[in-house]
Amino acid sequence: MDYTAILPIIVLAGLAVLVPAVAAITKSNKATAAVALIGIFTSIALVLLWFMDGANPAYFPDQASQVVRLDAFSGLFMLVFLSVAAYVVLASVGFASKDKHAGEYYALIMLATSGMMVVASSLDLITLFVGIELTSLSSYALVAFRKTDRRGAEAATKYFIYGGLSSALALFGISLIYGVSSAWVQAQPDPTLYNPLAFQTIGSAVAAMGSMDPILFLATVMLIAGFGFKVAIVPFHMWAPDVYEGAPTTITAMLASGSKKMGFVAFFKLFLIGLVAIKADWALLIGIIAIVTMTYGNLVAISQTNIKRMLAYSSIAQAGYILIALPVATISDPSQFANLTVGQYGLAGGIFQIVTHAFMKGGAFIIVATLSTAALGENITDYKGLSKRAPLMAFAMAIMLFSLAGIPPLAGFASKFYLFSGPVYAWGTPGNEWMIWLAIAGVLNSALSLYYYARVVKYMYVEKGPTEKLRVPLSMAVAVAICVVAVIAIGLYSGPVIDACQQAARALLPA
Amino acid sequence: MSELYDLLDGIHILTLLILLPLIGAVLTFLAGKRVKLAKGLALGFSAITLIMATLMMLGFDFSGNFGIYQFQYEESFSWIPSLGISYVVGVDGISVPMVWLTALLCFLAILFSWDVGHRTKEYMGLMLVLEVGVIGVFMALDYFMFYIFWEVVLIPMFFLIAIWGGPRREYAAIKFFIYTHVASVVMLVAIFAMYFEAAPHLIGGPSFSMIQIQSVNGFFPAGFQAIVFLALFFGFGVKMPIVPFHTWLPDAHVEAPTAGSVLLAGLLLKMGSYGIIRVAIPTLPEGALEWQWLLIAVAILSIMYGAFASLAQKDLKKMVAFSSIGHMGMVLLGFATFSTLGIAAGVFQMFAHGLITAVLFMVCGIVQHIAGTREISKLGGLSEKMPYYATFVMIGFMASLGLPGLIGFAAEFPIFFSFAFMNGVWNWWILLPIISVAITAAYYIWSMQRTLFGPLTTKIDTSHLHDVSWYEAAPLIALCVLIVLFGLFPSLIYDFIRPFAAPIAGLLGVV
Repeated sequence: MDYTAILPIIVLAGLAVLVPAVAAITKSNKATAAVALIGIFTSIALVLLWFMDGANPAYFPDQASQVVRLDAFSGLFMLVFLSVAAYVVLASVGFASKDKHAGEYYALIMLATSGMMVVASSLDLITLFVGIELTSLSSYALVAFRKTDRRGAEAATKYFIYGGLSSALALFGISLIYGVSSAWVQAQPDPTLYNPLAFQTIGSAVAAMGSMDPILFLATVMLIAGFGFKVAIVPFHMWAPDVYEGAPTTITAMLASGSKKMGFVAFFKLFLIGLVAIKADWALLIGIIAIVTMTYGNLVAISQTNIKRMLAYSSIAQAGYILIALPVATISDPSQFANLTVGQYGLAGGIFQIVTHAFMKGGAFIIVATLSTAALGENITDYKGLSKRAPLMAFAMAIMLFSLAGIPPLAGFASKFYLFSGPVYAWGTPGNEWMIWLAIAGVLNSALSLYYYARVVKYMYVEKGPTEKLRVPLSMAVAVAICVVAVIAIGLYSGPVIDACQQAARALLPA
Repeated sequence: MSELYDLLDGIHILTLLILLPLIGAVLTFLAGKRVKLAKGLALGFSAITLIMATLMMLGFDFSGNFGIYQFQYEESFSWIPSLGISYVVGVDGISVPMVWLTALLCFLAILFSWDVGHRTKEYMGLMLVLEVGVIGVFMALDYFMFYIFWEVVLIPMFFLIAIWGGPRREYAAIKFFIYTHVASVVMLVAIFAMYFEAAPHLIGGPSFSMIQIQSVNGFFPAGFQAIVFLALFFGFGVKMPIVPFHTWLPDAHVEAPTAGSVLLAGLLLKMGSYGIIRVAIPTLPEGALEWQWLLIAVAILSIMYGAFASLAQKDLKKMVAFSSIGHMGMVLLGFATFSTLGIAAGVFQMFAHGLITAVLFMVCGIVQHIAGTREISKLGGLSEKMPYYATFVMIGFMASLGLPGLIGFAAEFPIFFSFAFMNGVWNWWILLPIISVAITAAYYIWSMQRTLFGPLTTKIDTSHLHDVSWYEAAPLIALCVLIVLFGLFPSLIYDFIRPFAAPIAGLLGVV
C-alpha cells in the first residue's frame, strides 16, 4: 500500500502523541516545543518532497475507494496549515512559558493541524467530517486551556456549544446527502465500484437528479449552516468575536488562520464537486451571504474597542471576501489563461486570499499576543504611542494591518487584486453578469475596512502614549518576523504563489 | 537619438529615478537620532534625483511625429507571468514634464522643511517615499504597477497629515485616505474590466500592459467603453478633484503641513488628471466621446465652484486650496476639447499649476509660521515688515490669476482658445470660465490688498515679524524664476507635450 498521501499526517499525529511524554520527562517548555517543531517541519519536508518529486496525485488506500488524496490542492493547504502551526508553536514558547501542561498544549495544536490536513486531503464527506471534528475537539480544549481564566472558560463553553450544534447540523446534512447518493449508487450496474459519500459520487448523483429536490435543498441548507459556523459567515458568526477574544491569543491566531480556512476547504470540496450540478440554486445565495458577511464584519469592526474583537470582525469580513470565489468557481467556460477555466481562475483567487490571510491575520494576532506578554493591554487605546515603545512590533503591526486593508505592495494587496478580478472576469461570461456586484462590494468594503485598520496605525504612530520600552520574548519576535517576511515577500514576488494557487485550483476542479 | 539618450538608457535611468529616492528613504529612516544627517541625506538624494530627471529630460527626443503610446527609455521585465504582469516603465512627452516637476517639487519641499523639529527623520523619509510613488505613477506602463504606485502614495501622505498636520489633522488624514482609496478601488475594477476585455484579442495571452490593452481597444464595444470610462473618470476625478467629489481636498490641504500641501496640490492632484489623459481617453476613446458633455460640464462646474468658493474663504490657505479645484477644472476643460491644443494646454496647466501652487502654499505656510495666523482679516500691511515675502506672494498670486508673461497665462489662454473654438465653431459656453477668471482675479487681488498693503495690522503682535529665512527663500526664488521663465518661453515645455498630444486628439477624430 502507498502511504505517501497520509505520511505527513501520520508523522504529525504520531509526534503529537509523543510530545506530552517529552514534556513529562524533560519538564522543559522549550524542549517540548522543539519536539513539536521537529514534527511540524518533518511534515512540511514530506509535503515539499512530494511536490519536488513531480507532485503526482497520491491516493490512500487506493484511487477507487476515494478516501484521501494528496494533490496540488491538498498539498498547498497542508503547507499553509503547517506554517500556521509552526509560527503558533514558536510564539507559544514565549506566550505559554508560565503555563502548566505545555506538553498537552503543543500536542493539541498538532492534532488540530492534523485534522485540518485530513480535511484538505479528504475525498469523501465522512473523512472530511472526521477531520473537522478532530480539529474542533482539539481547539475546544485549547480555547479553554487557561482554565482559571474566566473569559477563556466562557469562550470555550460558547465555542463548544456552538461548535457541537454546527457539527450536528452538518452531520444531518451529510446523512441526507448519503440517502440521495446511495439511491443513485444502488441503481448503478455495479454498486460496489462507488463510495457513496465520495464527492465525485455525490456529484454524479446530484447531476442525475437534475433539479433541486426538497431533500437536497434541506441538505444544502444544513451544510451551509454547519460549515458556515466554522468559517464564521453571517448569520453564523456570533461565536467568533467572543471566542477570539477569550481564547489565549496564540490559539486565536490558529483559529483565525488555520481552522477557519479548513471550513473553506470543506465549502470548496462539497459545493464545487458535490453540488456543482445545482449551482444555479446556491450560487446567488452564497453570493448574497458573501456580501452581507463582508459588509457586516467591516461595519461592526469599526466600533470595536478591543483589538482582538476588532480583528475578529475583520476576520468575518475576510471570510466574506474569500466566499466571493465560490460562485465564480462554478463557471466552467474556458478562459484566456493557459489551462485554466474561468472557474479555476476564480477559485485560485480564493485560495490565494486564504494563503495570504493565514499570514497577515495570524501575524496580527501573534503580535497582539507578543505585546500582551509584555503587559500591554488589549484595548485599541493601549496601542497609543507604540511606535516609540516597541518600534519593530509597531512596524510589524502596521504591515499586517495595511496588508489586511489591501494596500500595495503587500501580500494582502496581491491576493485581493487577484481575488476581486475573478468576478469581473465572470461578468463577461454569459449568465453571470450579476457577479460584477461581488467585485464592487468587495472593493468598496475593502476601502471601508481601511478606516479601522488606519485608526490602529494612527494610534501607534501619531498619538502620544506612555514612553517606557516594552521587552518582548525572542521566540515570539521570530514568529512575528516569519509573518512579516511572508507578507512582504508574497507581496513583492507573488508569481510562484499564484502559480501554486492556480495548480491547486486545477487539481480540485477538473476542467 | 542622442548620445545622452543612449547613455541614460544604458544605465536604466527610469528605474534609477525610482530607486534613488527609495534608497534615500531607507537611509534616512536608518539615520537614528542624527537629525542633521537625516536632513542631509534626504536633501542629497532628492537633489541627485532632480539632476537625473533633468538629464533625462535633456536626452528625451521630441522631434518628429509620434504615434499613440510611443515611449522612450522603455524598460520591461516579466514579473508575474501567469497573470501577464510586468515591470514596464517608459516616458513620453506628457510624462516627462510631470516626472521633472515631481523631482523638483520634492527637492524644494524638503529644503523648505529644513526647520521641521518633530520626528525629523520620519518626515524626510516619508517625503522621499512619496516621491517614489508619484514618479512611479508617471512612468508606469503596466496597470498593476500603476496601481501599486498610485496606492503607495497614500501612506506617506496619510502620515504627513496625521503627524505633522494642523489641529484637525486626524480627521483630515483619515478622510483623505478613505476618500481617495474608494476612488482607487473603483478604478481598479475598471482596470480589471479592460484587462479581461482585452485578453481574448492579445496574442501573448492576458496582459496588464497599458500599451497592449490600448492596442486592441478597437474590439471594445461602445457600451463597454462608456461604462468603464465612467468608472475610470470617477477614480481619477476624485483625485483631481472634480466637483462634487472634492470635499476631502479642503480638509486635507488645510491640515497638512506646508510641504505636504505643496506635494498634495502640486503632484497628487496631477496624478488624477494624468490618469485621464494617459489611461482613460486613449484606451477608451469612444467612451470619452460619449461622455464629452459630462467632462465639459464637470470642468466648468469645478472652475466656477472653485472661484466662488475661494472668494468666500477667510483663511488664506483655504482660499488657495479651493483655487486648486478651479485650476484643475481648467485642466479637465482643456482635455475635454479633445483637440491637440486643448490637451497640450491641459498638460501644460498641470505643470504650471504645480509650480504656482507650490509658491502659494509656501507663502501660506510662512505667514502661519511667522505671524501665527492665516486669517485674512487679521493680517494687513505685511509688505512693510516683510518686503521679500510680499514679492513672492505677488508673483504667486499674479501667476495664478493668469497675468500674461507668467506661466499661468501660457496655460490658460490656449485652454480658453481651444474651448471657445471647439469643433471649429464659436462656443458661447466659454463665457462661464471667462467669468471665473474675473472672480479669480478678484479674490487674489482683494486678499493681497488686505494682507500685504494698507496699514500694518494691529490685531496680532507684529513686533517679532521678520522676513523669510534662507531655506524658505531659496525654493521660492527657484520657483518664481521658473514661473517667469516658462511664462516667457512656454515652448520649452510645450515642445515636449505637443507631439504626444496630437495622436491622442487624432484618436478622437479631432485635430
